[in-house]
Amino acid sequence: MDLQTQESLTHNNQKEPNMSSPHSSLNEAERKALESALPMWKIVFFQFKEHKMAFYSAFVILFFLIVALSAELITKVTGLDPNRQNVGARYLAPMTRAEATDDIKESAVEFYINQHSDEAKKLAAELRAQKIIVASEDPANDNQDALFTLMTKPTTEIKATLAQLKDVDSTHYSAILKTFSTFHIFGTDEVGRDVLIRLIYGARVSIGVAIMVAVFSAFIGLLIGGIAGFYGGKIDMLLMRATDALLSLPTIPILIVFSAVDLSKLPMIKQMMNPSYESIIKMFVIMCLFSWMTVARLVRGSILSLREREFVLAAKTLGATDATIIIRHMFPNVIAPMLVAITLGIGSSIIYESALSFLGLGIMPPTPSWGNMLNNAQEVIYKNVWLTVLPGLMIFITTVSFNFVGDGLQDAVDPKSIRR
Amino acid sequence: MGTYILRRLIQTVVVIALISYMCFYLMTLMPGDPVELMIQSNPRITSEDIARLRELYNLDQPAYVRYFSWAKDIASGDLGYSRTYRVPVQELMGPRLKNTFVLSFIALLTSLLIALPFGIYSALKPGSRVDYFVNFLSFGGISIPSFWLGLILIIIFSVQFGILPAGGTETIGVEHESTWAFIKDRALYLILPVISLSVQSIGVFVRYIRSSMMEAMRNDFIRTAKAKGLSRAVVVWKHGFRNALIPLITIFALSFSGLFSGAILTETVFAYQGVGKLVYDSIMANDYNVAMISFIISVSMVLFMNLLADILYGFADPRISYT
Repeated sequence: MDLQTQESLTHNNQKEPNMSSPHSSLNEAERKALESALPMWKIVFFQFKEHKMAFYSAFVILFFLIVALSAELITKVTGLDPNRQNVGARYLAPMTRAEATDDIKESAVEFYINQHSDEAKKLAAELRAQKIIVASEDPANDNQDALFTLMTKPTTEIKATLAQLKDVDSTHYSAILKTFSTFHIFGTDEVGRDVLIRLIYGARVSIGVAIMVAVFSAFIGLLIGGIAGFYGGKIDMLLMRATDALLSLPTIPILIVFSAVDLSKLPMIKQMMNPSYESIIKMFVIMCLFSWMTVARLVRGSILSLREREFVLAAKTLGATDATIIIRHMFPNVIAPMLVAITLGIGSSIIYESALSFLGLGIMPPTPSWGNMLNNAQEVIYKNVWLTVLPGLMIFITTVSFNFVGDGLQDAVDPKSIRR
Repeated sequence: MGTYILRRLIQTVVVIALISYMCFYLMTLMPGDPVELMIQSNPRITSEDIARLRELYNLDQPAYVRYFSWAKDIASGDLGYSRTYRVPVQELMGPRLKNTFVLSFIALLTSLLIALPFGIYSALKPGSRVDYFVNFLSFGGISIPSFWLGLILIIIFSVQFGILPAGGTETIGVEHESTWAFIKDRALYLILPVISLSVQSIGVFVRYIRSSMMEAMRNDFIRTAKAKGLSRAVVVWKHGFRNALIPLITIFALSFSGLFSGAILTETVFAYQGVGKLVYDSIMANDYNVAMISFIISVSMVLFMNLLADILYGFADPRISYT
């Protein structure tokens, strides 16, 4: 995939809007429309729309992003939790309903009584007062017993009962009620977690890490490529040799060696890190270290050609500092090809992340990512094929979409490369 | 040319040395060292013993001292001893390297044989239905995670139909009566890994072949050749393809790095006994002698392939001068 971006060395992207000489037959409004230059992004957008696959892919990505960002909302509405296990409902096929066993219900009620003791007490007292649950033999434990007995009834009956007790707060009780009978669109995994909600939370981690890596590594590449291209000479040679050396290394073995490092052996870093995000941050840093090279080469190429342009000379004569020239005058000219590189970089980052997580070195469970959902896919092939098929399909669809969008953008920002 | 090759050779060696030191340092940061494993396996170990063992294994020394003593051993031909397999590393590497070579070369060959006709055809007929389809498929190939493809292939061919083995290198414990039977047996185990390894490189190759062929066909001399009345085959193959071949050499070499990356994943998925699986297994098992050697061998191979490509490039295209 790294090869792909090198192909797109765009030196400049100055565009002239397609202006035909005004004909006399045109009325005033039409002439105005023709004469007004379209802004760059509009031209890019129109070109982009031409590339059908890219345009559809953009919608796919948008859909995934929206779903991933609303993961918490989905949890709230459906009551599905990515970390809740259900040993009684392992390896369920897609589109099946799982009913919780009695002992799971019991432990859930126990947890509820501990967590929300006030609500539980009131609810139990009310249940007794209304004679819905008849007093048991042991009066000392009546509070709990009423709630337990209620739980063993069918769900519809419980709901009706709770509706009857309108003036008592029972929000938390009905919340746990939701978890007892769950519908799994994509089935469940080896510990009975819902696959769909894990895929949604996984999308958040996988796409999120990939976007961050692509953006930050592009930033590193911009800096290094900018410096190398602008100063040339020894600095250029040194930086580009390093870039070439890194580029020629086989990525996955290097990433494996780096991600196998135990950060707790570096006490300085250990203090800085929050253990729950440790694997994500580690992943991010490692992948950034090894994916800035294509952007650096691209930027260097562009800057080398920009250096000879008149506006740089003009800026220099006006007394602009090197930093001003690089940042204010040169970077805007490399943004468009960089955008392409970033988009394509997201695609490859998703694959690298999932490959490492698949090997058990990337993002650590229980945080779901598409890669680590495939981690023990080999063992579960015989139990539930969907556990293997679905996460990979997500990786595939997302990567292909980002690659199509990258390709479309490339055609759109670089008029020379249009092939259709 | 001679100085260029020499300079590149020195550069490559320097990179390998730097990489090996970096890798050595990183291995010291991996969880568990040899002594820690001994402590775990022997609960009655005393603290004096631990100190003595650490001294014995040089673990009380800083990393760079250990690196140099390790490098000295390597230079004298002693590659160390594998802790998991209980054999010298030399014995372990030979067959593994052979297996990986077999796998990657077959995959490379397969992907070239498939990518060349498709790439050239779609370059000659840009915008056609076939071109559109090939383009679509090559995007799919680039984007598909090879390890997942491997899993899917296992599901289809081994679990559903049961016609191909799900993993391994050869049937264990079988005496083959002829070489032919042996090759047939190995081939059966190679089919799925080769497919899953090839798909990505086919995607990359098709795109490159297509664009470099299109670039070549846009040259003025192609128009001249056509105007001279040369047959289409001569124009395409002798004038077009030969010029398209030059940039392809680079891609060919760079794809080695991709193939090697892919080989780790493919070998792990299919439990194929190659270097890639050895790198992964030894890192996971803290077998650091094996991990270092197999890692350095795989990196060096990729780097030397790149070097070879750069040199070949000069021979293939006399327009390039090395200064």
